[in-house]
Amino acid sequence: MAHKQDKASMLTQGVFIFVYLAILTVLEFLVAASFNSTAVLIAVAFVKGALVVYYYMHVYKLSADHEGEHDSYEYKSGTNRLGLWLFLISDAFVFGGLLVMRMNLLGLTRPNLNQFLGLAVTSVLLISSFFMNRGETMIAHGDRKGFLNNTLITFLLGLGFLIGVVFVEWRLAAHEGLTPSSGPAGAAFYMMTGMHAFHVLTGLVFLAIVWINGRRGLYDEKHYPVEAAAVYWHFVDVVWIVFYPALYLVGTAIV
Amino acid sequence: MRHFVIVGILVIALAVLTYVGLNSAGLMPVPASAQAAPIDWLWDLQVKAMSFLFALIVVPMLYSLLVFRRKKGDTSDAAHVEGNTTLEVVWTVIPLVMVLGMAYIGAQNLGETRRVDPDAMVVNVTGFQWGWSFEYPDYGITSKELYLPVNKQVLLKMTSRDVIHSFWVPEFRVKQDLVPGRVTELRITPTMLGDTYKVRCSEICGTSHAYMENPVIVVEKVAFDAWVSEQQALAAQAGQTPEGRGLALVTANGCRACHSIDGSAGVGPTWFQLAGSEVPLSGGGTVVADDAYLLESILQPQAKIVAGFEAQQMPVYNFTEEQVADIIAYIKTLK
Amino acid sequence: MKRKYTVGSGLLFLLVAGVVGYFIGLGIDALIMKNVRWTAPVPSAFSLLFAFTAFFFGVYGYRGITRGLVYQVVWTLIGGFIVTGIRAAMGLSVFGGFFFTEPAWVFGALVGAVAFLFGVGVMDDWVKWARGMDTPDHHEDEPGWEKFLGVSLDHKVIGIQYTVTALFLISVGGTFALIFRTELAASGLQFLNVGMNLFGQNGPQLYNTLMSLHGMIMIVSILLGISGIINYAVPLLVGAHDMAFPRMNAFAYWVSVPAAVLLLMSLVLGGFDTGWTGYPPLSVKAPVGQQMFFLGVFIAGWSSILGALNVIATVVRMRAKGMTAMRMPILVWASVATSIIALTATQLIGLSFQLVMFQRLFGMGFFDPAKGGNPVLFQHLFWFYSHPAVYVFVLPGLGVISELLPVFVRKPLFGYRWVAMSSLGIALVGFLVWAHHMFTSGMNEYLRVPFMYSTLLVAVPTGVKFFSWVATIWGGKIETPTPMLFVLGAIVVFLMGGLSGPPNATVSVDLHLHDTYFIVGHFHDTIFGGFVFPFFAAIYYWFPKATGRRMNEFWGKVHFWLMTPSFLILTFGMMRVGLLGMRRRIADYDPAQGFDTTHLILTIAAFAIALSVLIFLINFFHSIKHGEKAEGNVWNSRSPEWQVPSPMPAHNYETPFEVVGEPYDYGLPGSKYIEFIPAQGGKH
Repeated sequence: MAHKQDKASMLTQGVFIFVYLAILTVLEFLVAASFNSTAVLIAVAFVKGALVVYYYMHVYKLSADHEGEHDSYEYKSGTNRLGLWLFLISDAFVFGGLLVMRMNLLGLTRPNLNQFLGLAVTSVLLISSFFMNRGETMIAHGDRKGFLNNTLITFLLGLGFLIGVVFVEWRLAAHEGLTPSSGPAGAAFYMMTGMHAFHVLTGLVFLAIVWINGRRGLYDEKHYPVEAAAVYWHFVDVVWIVFYPALYLVGTAIV
Repeated sequence: MRHFVIVGILVIALAVLTYVGLNSAGLMPVPASAQAAPIDWLWDLQVKAMSFLFALIVVPMLYSLLVFRRKKGDTSDAAHVEGNTTLEVVWTVIPLVMVLGMAYIGAQNLGETRRVDPDAMVVNVTGFQWGWSFEYPDYGITSKELYLPVNKQVLLKMTSRDVIHSFWVPEFRVKQDLVPGRVTELRITPTMLGDTYKVRCSEICGTSHAYMENPVIVVEKVAFDAWVSEQQALAAQAGQTPEGRGLALVTANGCRACHSIDGSAGVGPTWFQLAGSEVPLSGGGTVVADDAYLLESILQPQAKIVAGFEAQQMPVYNFTEEQVADIIAYIKTLK
Repeated sequence: MKRKYTVGSGLLFLLVAGVVGYFIGLGIDALIMKNVRWTAPVPSAFSLLFAFTAFFFGVYGYRGITRGLVYQVVWTLIGGFIVTGIRAAMGLSVFGGFFFTEPAWVFGALVGAVAFLFGVGVMDDWVKWARGMDTPDHHEDEPGWEKFLGVSLDHKVIGIQYTVTALFLISVGGTFALIFRTELAASGLQFLNVGMNLFGQNGPQLYNTLMSLHGMIMIVSILLGISGIINYAVPLLVGAHDMAFPRMNAFAYWVSVPAAVLLLMSLVLGGFDTGWTGYPPLSVKAPVGQQMFFLGVFIAGWSSILGALNVIATVVRMRAKGMTAMRMPILVWASVATSIIALTATQLIGLSFQLVMFQRLFGMGFFDPAKGGNPVLFQHLFWFYSHPAVYVFVLPGLGVISELLPVFVRKPLFGYRWVAMSSLGIALVGFLVWAHHMFTSGMNEYLRVPFMYSTLLVAVPTGVKFFSWVATIWGGKIETPTPMLFVLGAIVVFLMGGLSGPPNATVSVDLHLHDTYFIVGHFHDTIFGGFVFPFFAAIYYWFPKATGRRMNEFWGKVHFWLMTPSFLILTFGMMRVGLLGMRRRIADYDPAQGFDTTHLILTIAAFAIALSVLIFLINFFHSIKHGEKAEGNVWNSRSPEWQVPSPMPAHNYETPFEVVGEPYDYGLPGSKYIEFIPAQGGKH
């Protein structure tokens, strides 16, 4: 179980995973810019997603044994964990449907978007996931201050991502003539980023809640709510890991 | 053992009875196309299978109900039988083989209904709310009736101008949706003369969906050729006057599906005695139906809405100014 | 609040508020349209909302559901005015033919639905948690019937709330069906004619709206009905003291109420004429009622998704000691299978409807060919849910059949493992068959044959169920009280549905059958056999558990013997005219086709069914107070919930039990399914 591992090794693991993710992101950006192989992009996105799901969202906790009474906090947290994952699976079908819509309407073309901005917001979200992981690890080891600081950083980065997409990217795109009603590329772009931004927004609300309650020491003993907010936040990140190549990298840009 | 023999006999008896009973009722409409033959053959095979399976389940059930029902005063449980793996495997594998066989036959059967005749006559079909228009590109004519020569395959190239419709003549069996923005194809070889067939839209398309039925007439080749010449002559004649051209446009675009020409109520306002009359508008006030008003109402249907027609939305047609003038000329003849 | 509230005062309030609402609406409409329009949508909308809310106020006072409805009405208006204000500031048109403009209605309706949840109080605990406050695990319910009109966390209360709401919606949807069934009794338009104008719709438009709403209201009522059975039975069957997430359970129920209100609002806001499938481009052109329909279904989808999530978590985490997978009652298996589908696929119907809503609101051209969109894409997204949805509807019903059969034939369920696995099999294959609804749609032709294969495969696990049922009945000692009659009726009717299925799966025959009354007959058979009959069976069966009284046996049998033959006549007739060329969803038919006599018979049969359901409803509500007492193991069942006295205590089993045998070992002397664990002092 996660909290039985020692704190330092957990934090180090988080750093390593982040470095892998960063390298893979640069790699996919370069692949898209040079020989643009859809297969490679899918493979990279899959590996990135798997890394986050396993190491940041620790999906393995689902199968962990939960000894004890059905009324114990441990057991109830296990049930909550299952419930959250079921919700994420359900939610994933929305994003899957959006991807199907995007592939059906656009095929191997993509909207013409600002590549620098795309990479920037992607990086911001990945970095936020890194800090989220640190925050969660710290509260699991009773470090309230570290948890608060890291969660605050996550929140601010998440806010930055939201502003980057909704207030900067949407404006830029609209300025270039890509509007919701301009055609299939515009429809797919605004729908996908909009749906994702809505999830980011809800994630920010959860982060705000755990941060405010965490300041009052609510999670020093019972820290499942922090884990839930973190897993949800990482899930939103995984969605972007798939949406980023789907919108910015795959295929050729249409003007 | 005795039970199984009785049930076996009853199953066969009921299966035969069901099949004969269903068949004698005449389940399908007259088959009037080459495509109907394989479909009816497969349907008949399925009715046989259905009759047998129906008997196979219902007979043992009813038999048990009668023979094994609880006797009065008996409070004991029945014999303890948990299951039988062999039996379960049997009634998994046999149906599996059967449905795979059915799917294979189905695929062959589908192939037969899609057999291509390279010399097929092409008809361009347009569906709209609420009617059909048939264009014969080989002859340069357009009709709202689908005239077809018997025993000659026709390739229908179909599209829709507004929403999804579906082309279906029950006697021809096959069906195909008309999707706006793309062309779908359907091949039909009529095999039976008749003038009572109708193409019936079978995908809900709005208010008058039920009435989206146009006549389909299957005639001998000679009669078909005569009809073509007649239509060509009529078209040439009508093309010389504005109201003639207007009538052709009105027919081709199905305007009369909503606008009556005899004053009867419809989805849209009637055209009877419309020109020059005073029209009450939604939200109060009236307007005189002069040329300017008619032009505006045709090109921008939502600009002025006639009182009582708020819920209807007339589609926008891309007519040229000359075409609109022709249509207005036609409307003026309706007195 | 110690006032005595009664149904009588509720009805009085309903009448008064209906009239008051109507005139307020009339006044508003007249102000904006500068014209008094007696049959316009706005007075009707206000009348409906006011009457609905006032009824509950009269019955229950200003709390629970009443407060929710008041919140919904008020916030719908507030939301609408916010958008209206923004539009006025932007110089756009401010009011439309339906009072608000479409965006204002949509936003207002969404805000109103969310406000309902806060008003009814189902969010209270969550809000407290978010603010860092602790709440008790259980909230004590009020005694008597009043607990059903407010938020309760008890799965049994919620199960009954679901069931009664489902019965209400079935009555509404059934009434709609009677209206248009009467219209169809003869060719030509009888009373829904072109000249009439009600809710801004003429006769055929009203026909289309009622027909479309019949479809979706019935679907929602089915989803609520299965949730009712599952919610009530599954925690009892697995020996849990409640569902895994009681608050989410309450949320899932209460979110369906504003959804139902929105669906009904669509009727008065111009209606919609797309059928329940809502295919674009037709659904893009329909009046604002279409948006209410989409939003209503979207919100009802939350109910289904969260309910399913809860069921899976409950079954995985809350089972009694010793209840291994292969010792779970078969209904639990069926509930899990159904929940897997509902949890995942439901998102796709929500998404497809959301995309059409956005296409209407923002001009996004997902399905608009003029903007490079693809109308057929909608059908793929839509059917990816809506076909598996059929299995969501029927799997719990089939589970009820398998659960009840052994009790009434006093024999084990034949081939338990196979029956359990066949539910999962149907659920999984069900994900791969959706395009069989689209054989004529113009999708890629090469997809048709693979989907024919996958569709026909569904027959295999379904066949396993039928054969196992027959083998269970064979040689049993069969009793036929009302629940068993409905189980047997379910088998026969579902058999009719099952047998009329494969012809639709083979592409070439389907080209003839698609979108005809044959399909209408086919799916009414599957839904009645897979849901309606088992639902009635379950109600007759578990009614003593919930109330401690039995429903009247005689009237139960009248219900069965009136409904079953009428229903078989109805669907046979539908299939017959369908084969001969009767298209689906038509307000009128060509007299030349000669369907008049058949349709008259069908209409009579439909009224007979309605009468039988009316008998059921009277029996149901009458028996709650006046039924014969039945507090013991009425059906002599082995199932755990019958081993304790009825009605069930608030927190289920006083002492936990342990599973020590097989669930259906009837006829095996000395065997037991469960044993209660003696209390060892202290809490369990």
